[in-house]
Amino acid sequence: MTTSAKTARPRPTPQDAALRALAAPIRRPLSRAGSLSALAELIWAAQSALVAWCIDGLVSPGHFAPTPLMAAAGFLALVVLRVFLERLSTAMAQRAANGLVAETRARLIDRAARLDARARRPAPAELASLAAEKTAMLAPWAARYAPAMTRVRIVPLVLIAMTAWFSWAAAVVLLVAGPLIPVFMALVGIAAKESSERQMAEVGTLNTLLVDRIAALADLRLLGAETRAAESLASASDRLRERTMRVLAIAFLSSTVLELFSAIGVAMVAVYTGFVLLGEIHFGTWGVPLSTGAGVFILMIAPEFFQPLRDLAAAWHDRASAMAVADEIAATEATIAGSGEILGTGGAAPSLPRAPFIWSGLRVRPGPGAAPLSLPDGGVAPGEALGISGPSGAGKTTLLSTLAGLIHPEAGEIRWGETLLDAGTADAIRAGIGWLPQSPRFVDAPLAEALTLGREGDLTAALAAAQAEDIVAALPGGLQAHLGDLGGGVSGGEARRLMIARAIHSQAALVLADEPTSDLDPETAAAVLSGLMTLKARGAALIVASHDPAVLAAMDRVIAVEGETAR
Amino acid sequence: MKSLLRIARDMLAAEPKAFLRGAILGVTVLAMGAALLGLSGWFVTACAMAGIAGIGIDFDFFRPSAGVRLLALGRAGARYGERMLTHDATLRALSALRLRLYRGVARLPFEAQNRLRGAEALNRLTSDVDALDGLLLRLLIPVATVLTVLAVSFVTLWFLVAPAVAWSVTLAYLAGGTLALIVTARRAHGAAEAAETALQSLRARTLDMAQSRADLTVAGALLRQRSGIGAAVAAEVTARNRMEAADRAGGFALSLTTGIAAAAALLSGGMLAQAGTITPAEAAIGFFVAMALGEGPALLRRGLTELGRMQVAARRVTALCDTPVRPEPASAPAREGSAPLLVAQGLTHRRAGSARATFGPLDLTLTAGETVLISGPSGAGKSTLLSVLSGLIPATSGTIALEGRPLADWPEAALRSTMTLLPQRSALIGGTVAENLALALPAERLRPAPESRSTPPEARFSDPDRVWQILDALELGEVLRRREGLATVLGPGGSGLSGGQSRRLVLARALLREPDILLLDEPSEGLDPDTAAAVLGALRTLLPEAGIILVSHRPADRAFADREIAVARS
Repeated sequence: MTTSAKTARPRPTPQDAALRALAAPIRRPLSRAGSLSALAELIWAAQSALVAWCIDGLVSPGHFAPTPLMAAAGFLALVVLRVFLERLSTAMAQRAANGLVAETRARLIDRAARLDARARRPAPAELASLAAEKTAMLAPWAARYAPAMTRVRIVPLVLIAMTAWFSWAAAVVLLVAGPLIPVFMALVGIAAKESSERQMAEVGTLNTLLVDRIAALADLRLLGAETRAAESLASASDRLRERTMRVLAIAFLSSTVLELFSAIGVAMVAVYTGFVLLGEIHFGTWGVPLSTGAGVFILMIAPEFFQPLRDLAAAWHDRASAMAVADEIAATEATIAGSGEILGTGGAAPSLPRAPFIWSGLRVRPGPGAAPLSLPDGGVAPGEALGISGPSGAGKTTLLSTLAGLIHPEAGEIRWGETLLDAGTADAIRAGIGWLPQSPRFVDAPLAEALTLGREGDLTAALAAAQAEDIVAALPGGLQAHLGDLGGGVSGGEARRLMIARAIHSQAALVLADEPTSDLDPETAAAVLSGLMTLKARGAALIVASHDPAVLAAMDRVIAVEGETAR
Repeated sequence: MKSLLRIARDMLAAEPKAFLRGAILGVTVLAMGAALLGLSGWFVTACAMAGIAGIGIDFDFFRPSAGVRLLALGRAGARYGERMLTHDATLRALSALRLRLYRGVARLPFEAQNRLRGAEALNRLTSDVDALDGLLLRLLIPVATVLTVLAVSFVTLWFLVAPAVAWSVTLAYLAGGTLALIVTARRAHGAAEAAETALQSLRARTLDMAQSRADLTVAGALLRQRSGIGAAVAAEVTARNRMEAADRAGGFALSLTTGIAAAAALLSGGMLAQAGTITPAEAAIGFFVAMALGEGPALLRRGLTELGRMQVAARRVTALCDTPVRPEPASAPAREGSAPLLVAQGLTHRRAGSARATFGPLDLTLTAGETVLISGPSGAGKSTLLSVLSGLIPATSGTIALEGRPLADWPEAALRSTMTLLPQRSALIGGTVAENLALALPAERLRPAPESRSTPPEARFSDPDRVWQILDALELGEVLRRREGLATVLGPGGSGLSGGQSRRLVLARALLREPDILLLDEPSEGLDPDTAAAVLGALRTLLPEAGIILVSHRPADRAFADREIAVARS
C-alpha cells in the first residue's frame, strides 16, 4: 500500500516535511479547529466544578452550594455547549481535510494531463490509484490527527495547572504518569508504526490472493480447478491471518501500555485524594486541608488529562499513512516537473483551412536524458499520402508525436500552410488532425461518445464510410456499448477500423497513423489499409508510419527515419 | 440493511465462540471502567464524609483502594485480550467471506466473469470486502457490549444506589443511542453510496486520461476530459461532506446522550441524597457510573461512521455470494465407443442485443489423433467458437455432441477432464510454478502438500517426470532450471515471466491434464517462429491420441494441422 519512493531515499528533512508542505494551505483552519476542540474539552473543567460543588453541598449541608436541580441543569447546559463546539470544530477540520484532498487531486491531475508523449511515469494505473484512494488517506490525518495534536499541547497543561492549584501531589502523580506516556509511545510507537504498515501490507496481500483468483477464474474453471483454488485460497488466508495476528499482538501492546498508564494515573489520584480527605495523608495540598469539592473536582478532571493523548494514539496510524502518501505525491510531482509538456492546451479550437503540412530541421529527444535524434524533413499536400519507414525504435512514433504537438522539439519547425506550430497555434492545428495510435484504446464511455469525443458530426455516415457498421452491429447495445478496460469484445483490427471511422467523423484534413497494420492477419490488414485509402480519397492527407511493405507501397511517397543521433 | 444483517449473521456463524469470548471480554472492559469510576467517586466522597465526621480511623480504606488499583490493571488486561480475540475472529470471518465471494463469482456465467476481470471491477470488489471488516468489530460487538453493560449497571445501580437512578441512566442511554443509530443509518446510506460512486468514476476517468492522453489531446478533448475529472472530484467532496455531516449529527446525539444520562443521574441521586434516602457517596456512584458508560457510545461512533459504506458494500457482496448454482446434470454419460470425439452441426452464436451473428452456421467433426486448424480474419468469432465448443457460452442454435452425447448432458467435472481449452488471455496466479501446475491436476495425480519448505516441490506430483518432460518439450525446462525450478515464485497474475514464457507455462498446465480434446486459442502468440514450431511440434508427441483444435492466424501454423476450417466474417 505504501510508497516505493518512501523506502528509496534517505530523508535529510524532517519526517513529515512533505506532509507539512502539502497541508500548508489548510494550516489555519486546522489550527482553529484544534483550538476550538481544546476549548470544548476544557468545558469539562467547568462541568466538573459544578458537580463537585454540588456534591460538596450534599456532604456538608451547611455550605453554600447549588441544589442538584441547579447543578444538573447547569451541567446539561454546559454539555450542550461542549458538544456543539465539538461538532463545530469537527466540521471545520473535516471540511478543510476534504478541501485538501480535492485540491491535491486537482493539482496532480492538472499537471499529469499536460505530460508529453514521451512520459512513461507515473504509469496510468499508479496515477489513478494515487489520485483516487491514496490521496483520500490525507483526510483522516487532517481531520483527526492534527486537531488531536493541538489538544495535546493545550488541554493537559491547563488541567495539570488546575490540579496543582488544589494539590501539588496529585499534579505530580499526573506529571509522572503523563509524560511517561509519550516516552512509551515513542518506543512502542516506532514498533507500532512499522507493524501497522506491515499489517496493511498483509491485508493488501489477502486482497491480492482473492483478486488473482477471480481474475483467473475462467482458466480455473477450464482446468476443473475452481474447488482446488478455493482450498488453496483458504489455506493461504489462514497463513496470512496467523502472521497478521503476531504483528497485531505488538501493535495492541502499545495502546495497552497507554491505557494502563492512564488507568493507573486516575486510580492513584483517586486513592491519594481519598486518603487526604480521610485525614490519613497531610502533605501535598499547600498546607490547607482539601475540601470535598476540590477532591471530587481533581478526581473528575484526571481522566480528561489523559484523553488527548489517547486520541492522538488512536490517530497515530493516520499520520503514518498520510506521510507515506504525501511523500509519494511529492515524488510524483517531481517526476512530472522533470518531464516535458504538450504544446497548447489540448482543448477544442476552430480548425484552419486545408493547407500543405511541412516540417524541417527537427531534432527531438526520444526520452528524457536521451541524445536528440535528427528527423528527416518532409511534408504532405492535401490528398497526398506519405509513408514513414524505418526499423523499430528509429523514431517513427516520436516523429508522429512531434508533428501532432505532443512533444517539444529541440530544434526545427513545423508549419500548417503559413502557420507555425507553437503553443499558441497547436490546438487550432490539431483540430485538423486525426490520430490513429498503434494500440487503439477507447475511453470508458458509450462507444458513440468514445468516437465523437464531444465533436459534432454524423457518426453513422462516418461508420458507413469506414465500413465499420458491421462491427458496431455485432456489439451488444451497438453504439451504447462500453469498450472499457478489456476492449469489450472488439479485435485489434476492428478497433483500428473504428478509429478510422473516428478520423472520418472528425473531418480531419490530415491523418497521422502509427503502424496501422501491426499484429493483423493479411485480410484484416487489407481492410484497414482500404479504410485509410478512403480517407485519402475524401481529400485528407495521410502520414503513415509502418514497416509493412503493403502499406508503404500504397503511399505516394516514402521517407525513411534512420534513427541518427544528432551531433 | 437486510444484506448487512445477513453478512453479520454469516460472519458470526463462522466464528461463534471466538466472537462470544471477545464480546464477554468487551463487556468486562466496559463494566470495569464503569466500576472503576463509580468506586473512585464513591471512595472520594465517602472518605470526605468520614473525614468530616472524624471517623477516619474506623473507615475501611484498604479494600476500596485495592479495588481501584485492581480494576485499573484488570481493565487494561481485559482490553488487550478483547482486541486480540475479536480481531482474530474477524480475520477468520473475513477469510470465510472472501471464500464465499470467490465461490459465488465462480458460479457466474462465463461472460459475467469476464466483465469482473477488469481492474475497476476487481478494485470495487476488494474495497467492498475491506469495508465490511468493521461490521462486527466496530458495530455489532460494541452494540451487544453496550446493551449488556447497560443491563448489568441497571441491576447494580438499582441495588447499590436507588431504582430511580438506575432507571434514569438506563433510559437515557437506550433512547439516545437508538435515536443516534437510526438517524445515522438513514442519512449516511445515500451519501456513502454517492461518495463511493464518485471515487470510482474519478479513478476510471483519471485512468482514461493518462492512458489516452495523446488521443484526447489531438482530438482537442483533453480539457473536456479534465473537466469531467474535476466534476468527479467535486462530486466526491460534496458526497463526503454530506456523509460526514450525517456522521457528526450521529456523534452529536451520542455525546448529548452521555450528558443527559449523567445529568439525570446527578439530579435523581442528588435529590434522594438531599432527602436523606441515600448518602451523598451513593449518589456519586450513580453520576460517575453514568459518565463512565459514555465510553460505550464512543466505541460505536466509528462503526456508525462506516455504516453507510458497509450497507452499500454488503448489498453488492451478498448479490455475488448468492449467485445461483449452475444447473448440473446428475451423472456422467457413458462414452459411445464409436462416436467421434466432437461433432458440431449448424452452430451459430449471436450476442444478446447485437444485430449480427458472431459466427456460423458451422459444421465440425473432430476425431482422436486429429489436429484441426481454425483460421479466419480477426473478428470472425474464432475465440467465441472455442468458448461455445467448450460449453462456456451457450450456442444460439445448432448442436454439439461430445463423444456421442449432447454437451449439455455432461456434468462440469466430467466435461473438464475430457476437454481442456487454453484461452487466448490465459492467466497464471501468484505463487510457485509448482502451485500453478498443480492447479491443473485432479487430487489422484497429486500428493498431499508438503509440510516443510525443505521438501522439493516435485514431491507434490505423483509423476514429476511427466511434469519435466512437458516443460522440456515446451523449451521451458532450461529457463526454470536456471532459476529455482518448480519452486520459482511468480508475482500476482503470474508476473515475473516474459510473455512467451507465461504462454508456454499455461500451455504446459493444459497439457498436464492430458485431455481427450485440447482446444488452443492462438497458442503460438508471443513466441518467436522457432519456439512456436518447437512448441506446436511437441503437442503431437506429448498427446498422440488427443483431438486438437487450433485457432491461429499465423500461416506457419498450418503445417501442424491435418485439416483447416476457415471461418469468414459474416
